[in-house]
Amino acid sequence: MKKLYSNKWVILSLVLPGLFLFVFAILAPICLSVYYGFTNYSGMGSYQFVGWENYKNLFHDAAFGTSLRNSLLLAIGFIFIQHPLAMIVAAVLDKLGGKGENFFRCVYFIPNVISVAVIAYLWKFIYNPDFGLLNNIIKAFGGKGDINWFNYDTAIWAVLIVLIWHGFGWGMLIYYTGIKNIDPVLYEAAAIDGATQIQIFFKITLPQMKPVIQVNVTMAVISALKQMETVYLLTNGGPGNSTQFAANYLYQQAFKAYKYGYGNAIGVVFIIICLLVTVILNKIFEEREAKIKVKEVA
Amino acid sequence: MRKKIVSVLLTTAMVTAMLAGCGGKDTTASSDGSEKSPSAEAGSSSGDEITLKVFSNLPDRKNGQGLVEQKIIDEYMEENPNVKIEVEALDEEAYKTKFKAYSMEGLPDVVSIWGQPAFLDEVLDAGVLAELNESDYDDYGFVSGSLEGFKKDGKLYGLPRNTDVAGFYYNQKMFEDNGWEVPKTYDELLELAGTIKDAGYIPLAMDGGDGWPMAVYLSDLLYKVAGSDYSSIVSNAVATGDFTDSSIVKATELLKETADAGLFQNGYDSQDYATAQNLFINGQAAMYYMGSWDASMALNEDIDEDIRTNIRVFTMPVVDGGKGTATDIAAWNGGGYGVSASSEHKDEAIKFLNYMYQPDKLSKYGWENGVGMSAQDQSAYMTGDETELQMQFVDAVNNATSVSGTPINDCGPSAFKTGIESEIQSVSNGSMSVDDFLSSIGKACQ
Amino acid sequence: MEMIGSKKKKKKLSKPILYVILIIVAVIQIFPLIWLLDFSLASSSEMFTNGLLVMPKKIQWGNYVKAFVDGNFLWYLKNSILINGLAVLLVIVVSIMSAFACRRMKWKLSTFVKTLLLMGLMIPIHATLLPNYKIYSRLGMTDTIWALLIPYVAFSLPQGLFLMTSFMESIPVELEEAAVMDGCGIYRILFQIITPMLKSSIATVAIMTFLNNWNEFMMASTYLSSDKWKTLPFSVLEFTGEYSSNYAVQFAVMALTAAPAVIVYIILNKHITKGVAMGAVKG
Repeated sequence: MKKLYSNKWVILSLVLPGLFLFVFAILAPICLSVYYGFTNYSGMGSYQFVGWENYKNLFHDAAFGTSLRNSLLLAIGFIFIQHPLAMIVAAVLDKLGGKGENFFRCVYFIPNVISVAVIAYLWKFIYNPDFGLLNNIIKAFGGKGDINWFNYDTAIWAVLIVLIWHGFGWGMLIYYTGIKNIDPVLYEAAAIDGATQIQIFFKITLPQMKPVIQVNVTMAVISALKQMETVYLLTNGGPGNSTQFAANYLYQQAFKAYKYGYGNAIGVVFIIICLLVTVILNKIFEEREAKIKVKEVA
Repeated sequence: MRKKIVSVLLTTAMVTAMLAGCGGKDTTASSDGSEKSPSAEAGSSSGDEITLKVFSNLPDRKNGQGLVEQKIIDEYMEENPNVKIEVEALDEEAYKTKFKAYSMEGLPDVVSIWGQPAFLDEVLDAGVLAELNESDYDDYGFVSGSLEGFKKDGKLYGLPRNTDVAGFYYNQKMFEDNGWEVPKTYDELLELAGTIKDAGYIPLAMDGGDGWPMAVYLSDLLYKVAGSDYSSIVSNAVATGDFTDSSIVKATELLKETADAGLFQNGYDSQDYATAQNLFINGQAAMYYMGSWDASMALNEDIDEDIRTNIRVFTMPVVDGGKGTATDIAAWNGGGYGVSASSEHKDEAIKFLNYMYQPDKLSKYGWENGVGMSAQDQSAYMTGDETELQMQFVDAVNNATSVSGTPINDCGPSAFKTGIESEIQSVSNGSMSVDDFLSSIGKACQ
Repeated sequence: MEMIGSKKKKKKLSKPILYVILIIVAVIQIFPLIWLLDFSLASSSEMFTNGLLVMPKKIQWGNYVKAFVDGNFLWYLKNSILINGLAVLLVIVVSIMSAFACRRMKWKLSTFVKTLLLMGLMIPIHATLLPNYKIYSRLGMTDTIWALLIPYVAFSLPQGLFLMTSFMESIPVELEEAAVMDGCGIYRILFQIITPMLKSSIATVAIMTFLNNWNEFMMASTYLSSDKWKTLPFSVLEFTGEYSSNYAVQFAVMALTAAPAVIVYIILNKHITKGVAMGAVKG
């Protein structure tokens, strides 16, 4: 048995395809990015090595700062707007039961299966100040309905709303599953104690969902960092750079401003930030869990 | 139940795998087929099968310039059965982005290019475009000076397609019904903006999301402010990175005043080309600022006849205290075509390029389809059936005392272009001061 | 008994409120799509109204005909199904193989390799766009199916691997031991004994991979140039340029592009929900 399970050739044959994909599609491009990040390569012709020049510039690049700030805003928006809403709706849905429950769950998830390309274009129309749906709704309620949703200062919120709307079903579904997994005995006990629905939600549902929330928060932060496609189509970072995101910015720099080297430097920093954030989040949650366990034991 | 999903998935997987097989066979079959197709009697330079890739910035193949381009391609393929031309078309912004990606590793055979420093300088430095023989084009009737933008060190690398004129398209019927007059001065224009707004329409639809039409507008203003000094002021500023010349400051301030006066539609700074155009052709906006290539609107069947036949145009009105007169107009030779230096079928590609520029092709068809003016002598194709809109542009050019040349955003390196096109929104909507704007675009020049 | 009775009463009392909340959310989620459908059947000029929805003077089925024919709908749909189908298949096979090797086989580097492969979860896919473009064009892979398939599989693999390993843990080792006694080789154990037991996780991985990649267009628009392998989301991008002066047809294209995924979702909704839930809670 042992011999069979430690046959090197068998192991190699099993992990080779996975490793090949990792090396070819992830590791090699990262190495290439690191290489070009040290050059002033425009994308065409010859280039020189410029040392840390690109990274120094990046440090002073206001647009890159805006990108990171926007990612942070987006993560906050996800965590403090989308997730509480999703959790409440999931809790409400859980109470419903029957065919209605399935119906609503299905409806909420539908935007999620639609392509970002469609969603972004659709919302471009919805936001249009002159004939868009949103202003028409305001008009229908007697308002003036001439809001410019992509105003320089508020455009990022307009983007946020689209992302929250698009991802709502996903978040809801995960919380919904989390709630369904809670042991019903706990609820029964609480009911015997005469707890109200709201008390039950805060005393039982919420604490029981901790692991699910942690996973969701991590995912929210990462997807806020990785955001590109919706922004690319909806605003392409504008007006000005007010809705810029790192991925979109590096794409623009490399393929629009002929700064392929600089674009790659952004890519490298971007990857490092993503790795760091994931590791930090995991650490925070691990420590917390450990502390909670200690408390429980105590 | 689970078993069912799995079996569904497995069957899907199998079907797709089979489809993959079929797909493969299909394509080989079809290419086999075309290889067998008669090509011997084609009578072209070579009997071999050739596929030319054309990369174009004209995605609308059923109207205007795109239609003209496609028509010529179809004719060429008919006359040369051994040549197959594949077109990839993207709209301007996406086109320019992908062009740069392509230029890293080899361009398609024939490409749309712009004879302007911001676009062409780096491209020519990298040597990705094939050199053309200028003397070949002696009889092609190119307007004098129109080839200059496509040259480097005296060598020619591309050919211009149009003579572009910037203009204010307006809805004549709407103007008449409301008793509005075409403005003679810039102040009148701003005043008119208020009047139109009060009547419940958008004064002018502006493609502010893309940046370049705003930059053209700024150039147009600057030309009216600085007059014949325009090009020296601009080239000076780009060379030194110092944009504090009083004319540039004044033009930029005027642009901001214009936005403040509400000439542009609400949210102009985030709306794209199509949105701006649609506002105009659907009767929401009274005016629309764009280049002469959009004169084909007058023949576009998708637009209501009532509006289509009533589109007219005027050029930038004079600015109080400015040096430019009403007949000094913003016009330039911009878009055109070039051939890839790394093309495997360079000769065929150049042959096709020359075919397009035969005077009775691009120029004639363009004229017939109301696309505005080509960069070649078109007088032979005047039929008397031109739309009034076309004639207005022709008159504007014929009566012009001088033309501006390249718009400001296209005069510097591409980092400058990217900078000015994204910051111009900020300066017009007031989120950035004029001084900051000018120093920021100055920095991008270095 | 009484307890349960009162609980039921409480539930009944709050039901109308529950419904109000749920319906409001449902309207917010769905109305934009109804709006899309509505205008896709109108004429372009009818879009410029102040109303929320229009009653088209004449229902413009022609919009859909244009979208279907000029938008190359079937061709792009075929490409999408093919590329995504292959990606799903490859992700499943490769993730089962790697999971088994890292989880069950005995070798020194197993944890290291597993961590390495899982790193992909943290790498932003768009950061690889620039260098990959360079690599693919050097290898002549741009404008081929590989330019999409490889990154799609590579970036879905970590999730697949993660799910497969956690499911594999629940399979008792005794089963394999018995198989070894019977003289089975590793490959037979893996594909004939283990794999059939992973059915539900295979479904989950398939669904997650499909959802991840079905709507991707950034890579498609960067790496592809001819129509040959362009996928469905791309047709929207292309069409908005092609029909820039005809909004209604653009709406029809958007509706048409969204349709296959929505229809499949509605039909398979329970399974997909289960798959996503399983994947998300584990992952």
